[in-house]
Amino acid sequence: MQAIFRAIDTVNQARPPAQRLRKAADAVLLGPESPLDSLGLVNLVVAVEEEMAEEFGVTVNLADERMRSQTNSPLRTVQALAGYIATVVNG
Amino acid sequence: MSRCVVISDFNAENFAGYLSQEPALPAIEAHAAPFGQVAPLLLDAGHACWSPRPDVVIVWTQPQAVSEAFGRLLDGELVDLTRVIEDVDHYAAQLIGIAGRTGCVLVPGWVLPAHHSGVGLLELQHETGATNVLMRMNLRLAERLAGAAGIHLLNAQRWIEAAGPRATNPKLWYMAKVPFSPDVFQAAARDVRAALLGLSGQSRKLILLDLDETLWGGVLGDVGWEHLTLGGHDQAGEAFVDFQRALKALAARGVLLGVISKNDERVALDAIAKHPEMVLRQEDFAGWRINWNDKAQNVAELVEELNLGLQSVVFIDDHPVEQARVREALPEVLVPEWPSDPMGYRKALMSLRCFERASVSREDRERTRLYITERQRSELKSQVGSLEDWLKTLRVSVAFEPLSGSNLARATQLLNKTNQMNLSTRRMTESELFLWASHPQRTLWTVSVTDRFGSSGLTGLLSVERDGTTARIVDFVLSCRVMGRKVEEAMAAAAVAQAKAWSLRRVEARYQPTAKNMPCLEFWQRSGFAVNGDASVFEWQTQRAYPFPEALTVTSPTAAEAVMQDSGARGR
Repeated sequence: MQAIFRAIDTVNQARPPAQRLRKAADAVLLGPESPLDSLGLVNLVVAVEEEMAEEFGVTVNLADERMRSQTNSPLRTVQALAGYIATVVNG
Repeated sequence: MSRCVVISDFNAENFAGYLSQEPALPAIEAHAAPFGQVAPLLLDAGHACWSPRPDVVIVWTQPQAVSEAFGRLLDGELVDLTRVIEDVDHYAAQLIGIAGRTGCVLVPGWVLPAHHSGVGLLELQHETGATNVLMRMNLRLAERLAGAAGIHLLNAQRWIEAAGPRATNPKLWYMAKVPFSPDVFQAAARDVRAALLGLSGQSRKLILLDLDETLWGGVLGDVGWEHLTLGGHDQAGEAFVDFQRALKALAARGVLLGVISKNDERVALDAIAKHPEMVLRQEDFAGWRINWNDKAQNVAELVEELNLGLQSVVFIDDHPVEQARVREALPEVLVPEWPSDPMGYRKALMSLRCFERASVSREDRERTRLYITERQRSELKSQVGSLEDWLKTLRVSVAFEPLSGSNLARATQLLNKTNQMNLSTRRMTESELFLWASHPQRTLWTVSVTDRFGSSGLTGLLSVERDGTTARIVDFVLSCRVMGRKVEEAMAAAAVAQAKAWSLRRVEARYQPTAKNMPCLEFWQRSGFAVNGDASVFEWQTQRAYPFPEALTVTSPTAAEAVMQDSGARGR
């Protein structure tokens, strides 16, 4: 979760205060309730991947188009994303 | 708040975001124009991105987008180099074409796309290697833009190097057409901000330095100058010498150096003069306070002596307590956290990014000497009786020159940084000033002052505008370095003479108050101009010539001299 929060910090630095993503487990990443537009989501995905590679030496691919379109997408919320990454990392 | 438009062939939303959200000054409101339309946007003056008029335009392109021939070269084709150069010339012409639509144009130089580097021996091959050709493109662009008012190149390669392996991420490119990572855009945003500070004359102008453990290693009072750590076959000694070299290089670009040290003055000056490895000598310092007083008090006194504002100052001291004291007492002074290891000093200095300048004028290069001669003038003043006697002893001469390409940079610099003797305190870019002065109803002179101690350089600006039967003085700007030598009166005489040459009856100076230009009001109040109703409007009827100060002479062989003769000035 901390790695995701660091990625959120990186992304938020380029966003106006009203459009910043909350550092909270229930923060919504996808859809109309999310402050992120498509570029913002790409920025977050790349930042999280880089954090995972740098911090844990783990390659995670979050940039798959299908991942965004699934009903139960791991990119729904910060909590869902953290759960998905944990699953990948722990095999 | 500067309004900035980013024009690029890639998605620059992230870059615009970093420019807008960075809390450091100057504040920027950046918008990315629709990407991939560089040429149409540059050529279409009616496009929405030009309204309202942006203060800054950043045109950031990739080389393969500007030159189709270079793109083919990246794909392995042999291409005619002249085609590539033609593309660069075409692009440069488009950039020059937009200069009048904005305050200034910043153009990052080209870098190779990440996925195209790494072809080893072929990379730099004469006229065919991609890096070789890219260097030629950058040089050609710099040549074509040289002298173009208001257009400045930035070194994007530095941003890539600063970001290291994280400079690019192919996913950002393939998914969003963003070629660089946040690290690159953040470094770019820092450089843009520093450039804008420099262009508006707000960069730092004075570095005040501690001596012990800052300019050299060791405590002078304890070990004597012969045993200081400085130069020699010693890693710390070499680092101190390198740090001094970096400071000297900044001084050559017009940054003043001064010393604030708790030491015995005689002993410290002796060390500066005698240590064989000192790079900086006494003549490199515009002033010093070497005593046992509070450093914050010393900083304030020296800055006042040098006629600068505290916002112009950087204070460098190895001691955290002294840093904290100055930071707390004088919050406008920039006091950087300083590394404990002298091997980090040079890097720490270079990373400050607060000494930007668009150009380096002769005055910049000689600034320290100007302050030293000013000190000599003050000493002479204390020996001579009246002001008139002192001015005669000084043998002050004034040269009026029209604004031209050769003095535009310095004139703009002076306009933007002069606070005290400034009638209207206008801030303009080079292109704005040149455009304004080109109007046939206006005239703008630069004023250079020389005396027996040497030239003070271009230190004044006078502009006059025809307004009905009145000649209105718009800019009346004089550096504090030459204030109080009757140059103000010479400029007023020039304005009156110009009005007479235009057959106008009246000259008007309208004082625009700021927090810092009270000296200008005081001059006009004692100038002999009549106060016209409002206490901030001063006027002179041109049937009477304004008396040119007796102690001054005019030297410039220009049209301005003819005007000056009307006011009774003595030529030489």
